[in-house]
Amino acid sequence: MEILKLALRNLTRQKKRTILLGSAIAFGIMIVTVINGFAGAFVINISENFANLAAGHVFVQGVEKSASGRESDIIRDDALLMQAVKDAKIPAKYISKRSSAQASLVFAGHNATLAIDGVDFSRETFLPERLIFLKGGLDGMKAKDGLIISEPIAKRLDVQPGDRILAQLKTVSGQQNVGEFAVAGITVDTGIFGSMAGYANKAYVNELLSLRPDDYQLLGVYLPSLEGTDEYGRALYEQVKAHAAVFDRDAATGDQNFIRAFMNQGKTETWTGIKYRVFTLNDMLAQVKQIADALNYAALIILVILFVIIMVGITNTFRIILYERIREIGTMRSIGMQRGEVRTLFLGEAGFLALAGAAAGLILAFAIMAVVGMINFDMNSPIFIILRNGHMTFKVDPLRMAFNVLLVGGLTLLAAYFPSRNAARLDPAVALRTVK
Amino acid sequence: MKRTIAGLALALAAAASLSAVDFKAILKEIDAMQDFGKSDYSAVYNIVSEKPGENPATTQIKIFRRDQANQIVILIQKPDKQKGQGYLKIDENVWFYDPDSGNFAHSTMKENINNSDAKSSDFKKYTFSDDFDIVKTEETRLGAYDAWVFTLQAKNNEVSYQKIRLTVRKDKAIPLKEEDYSVSDRLMRTTFFLPTYVPVGDKLIPAKIKMVDEINKGQQSVLTISDVVVKKLDDSTFTKAFLERAQ
Repeated sequence: MEILKLALRNLTRQKKRTILLGSAIAFGIMIVTVINGFAGAFVINISENFANLAAGHVFVQGVEKSASGRESDIIRDDALLMQAVKDAKIPAKYISKRSSAQASLVFAGHNATLAIDGVDFSRETFLPERLIFLKGGLDGMKAKDGLIISEPIAKRLDVQPGDRILAQLKTVSGQQNVGEFAVAGITVDTGIFGSMAGYANKAYVNELLSLRPDDYQLLGVYLPSLEGTDEYGRALYEQVKAHAAVFDRDAATGDQNFIRAFMNQGKTETWTGIKYRVFTLNDMLAQVKQIADALNYAALIILVILFVIIMVGITNTFRIILYERIREIGTMRSIGMQRGEVRTLFLGEAGFLALAGAAAGLILAFAIMAVVGMINFDMNSPIFIILRNGHMTFKVDPLRMAFNVLLVGGLTLLAAYFPSRNAARLDPAVALRTVK
Repeated sequence: MKRTIAGLALALAAAASLSAVDFKAILKEIDAMQDFGKSDYSAVYNIVSEKPGENPATTQIKIFRRDQANQIVILIQKPDKQKGQGYLKIDENVWFYDPDSGNFAHSTMKENINNSDAKSSDFKKYTFSDDFDIVKTEETRLGAYDAWVFTLQAKNNEVSYQKIRLTVRKDKAIPLKEEDYSVSDRLMRTTFFLPTYVPVGDKLIPAKIKMVDEINKGQQSVLTISDVVVKKLDDSTFTKAFLERAQ
C-alpha cells in the first residue's frame, strides 16, 4: 500500500511529462469511445427510423404461386394472421396492412422511380403523425388517386401539389399497367429512404395491382419498442406455422445474407394457395448491424495501433525515468526495498498514469458526444436516417468501455514492464556509484 | 327513303362480308408465320433506343428459339457492359444470367431488354390465337394497305398487355401495327412493322420494327433483324451452360 502511495506521489514530480503521457492515453480512449458510441446508436436509430417508414417491427408476407411458377405477393384472408398475432401475445402498438407498387413516374418529360405504399389512412393513424409536409397535406388524400411524395422525387419530376402524374407499374401477375395520381403532398426528404416515401390510398393501389379491395401484400406489427423484436417474431412465426404453410426460417439461418436466402426460398419450391413468410426488422437490417460491428472492430484496431505508438513512448519515457532516478533506486534498495517492490513502484506509476489518462479520455469523449448531440441537423439532411429527431445520438456499452480501459491499462503496464524489471534488477552499489 | 335503304343494304353487305371472314384463322396464320415448328431459329437484332435529351443507345442481341419445345435463349452482345447477359426460357421458367456475378436469377419474359422499349416476350413466337380472344374487328387503311384491326383481350394474365389492337394486312396475314394497352386500358406502346421482310422458307419475318413508347413521349426503339438462320441447333444451346460459356 505504501509503495502504491509512493507511486502516485512520484507521478506528480514531473507534471509536464505525466500530463503529456496521460493526454496521449486520453486521446486514444476518447477516439475509440466516441466511435463505439456512434456505432451503438447507429443501429438503433436506423432500426427505429426504418420501423417508422416500413410501419412495423415484425412482418408477414403472403406469397401465392401460379401454375406457371410465377410468384405474387398477396394476403387474401387475414383472419388466421390476426389470430396468430393475438395468440403470440404480441403487444402490438398498431398493425399496418399495405400493398406496394414499384412505379415509374412520368410528368412532362421527367421520370422518377418510386415504391408507392398503399395505405388505409382511415386505420393507419400513426403514419399521418409522422409525415412532415413541405407543401400540400393529407386533405388531398381524400381523393382516391392522391399521392404523397418526398421532396427529392418532387424536384426530379418538377411537380407541385395538384399536378397529375402517370405511374407505370406492373400488376401482381406482372402485366403492364398505368395509373394516374394527383400529387396531394410533398414531404421532407428522409435521406436514403426518400425514394420509398411514396404513399397512396390502398384501394387505388390495389386496383392498379389487380388485387381485390380487401387484399393486401404485407402485414406489419409495430411494437412499443425495438426490444423483443426477435422474440415476438419467432412467436408469431410459430403461431402462423401451426395453422398455415410458412417458409422455413430455420432453413435460411446460417446463410450470410439471411433475408436474401429467405426471400429466395420460394424460387425452388412449389405449393398451392398462399404461403407465409414471417420476418423481422432485424432480419432486414442485419447488414446494418454488420456495418456497426465493422465500426467497432475498426475502433479496436485504431486503439491498438494508437497504443502501440503510445507504448513506444511510454517505454522510452520509463527508461529515461529509470536513468534519472538510478541513484534513488540505489538508495531505496540499500535501505531494504526489495526488487519486487521496486518493480511494483514503477508499474504502479504506469498503472495510475493509465487510469488517469483513461478517465480523462472518457470524460472528454462524453463531453464531445454531448456537444455533438445538441446539434440540430436539418430535416433534409442526407444523414436523417441515422439521427433521432434530427439529433445524433450515442450509446456506449459499459462492458465495451470497461474492456477498452482494461486493454489500455494492460498495454501501458506492458510498456512499462521492461524498464521496471531493469530498475528492479539494478545492483544497489552500482546504482549509487552511477554519475549521470 | 332510297338513301336509307341503300345505306342499310351496304351495312348489311359489310356485315355479311365481315361475318364471312374467319378472323380466328387469320390470327392462327399470323402465329404460324412466326412458328418454325421442328426447326430452330436464330437471328441477330439490333435495337437502337432513343430518349429525349440522351444520345441513342444501341443494344445488339442474338436470339435462339426452339418453338417446338418452348425454349428461347436471348444473349446480349452489345453494349460491352451488358455483354454476356442473357435470358433462358424453358417452358414457363425464365432465368436471367449475369456474367459478372455468375448467377442465374428467376425472371419473366415481361422484362424490358436493356432499358429499350422491347421486351423479352417480343422475341418469342406469336401466340395471339392462344392467349387472346377477339372482341372486335374493324376495317381500316394503313399506308398503302387495306387492313383488319383486331381488338384482342387477354385470356390469361401471363401476357404483358391485357389488351392489344392488331392491324393486319388484308392480303396477307402480316401485322402492320400493334397497339398495346395496360390493364387500365391506356395505350402504352405502339409497334410498327415496317413493310420490309426477310423471307425465311415460306415465312416472312419483319426486317424492321419501330416501337414507340406512348407514356414517355419521345421515347422509341427501332429493331433491325439480320443473320436469320433456320436450322437445327445443338441441344446444349438451350441450357444454362451455354449462357455461361457464351461471351
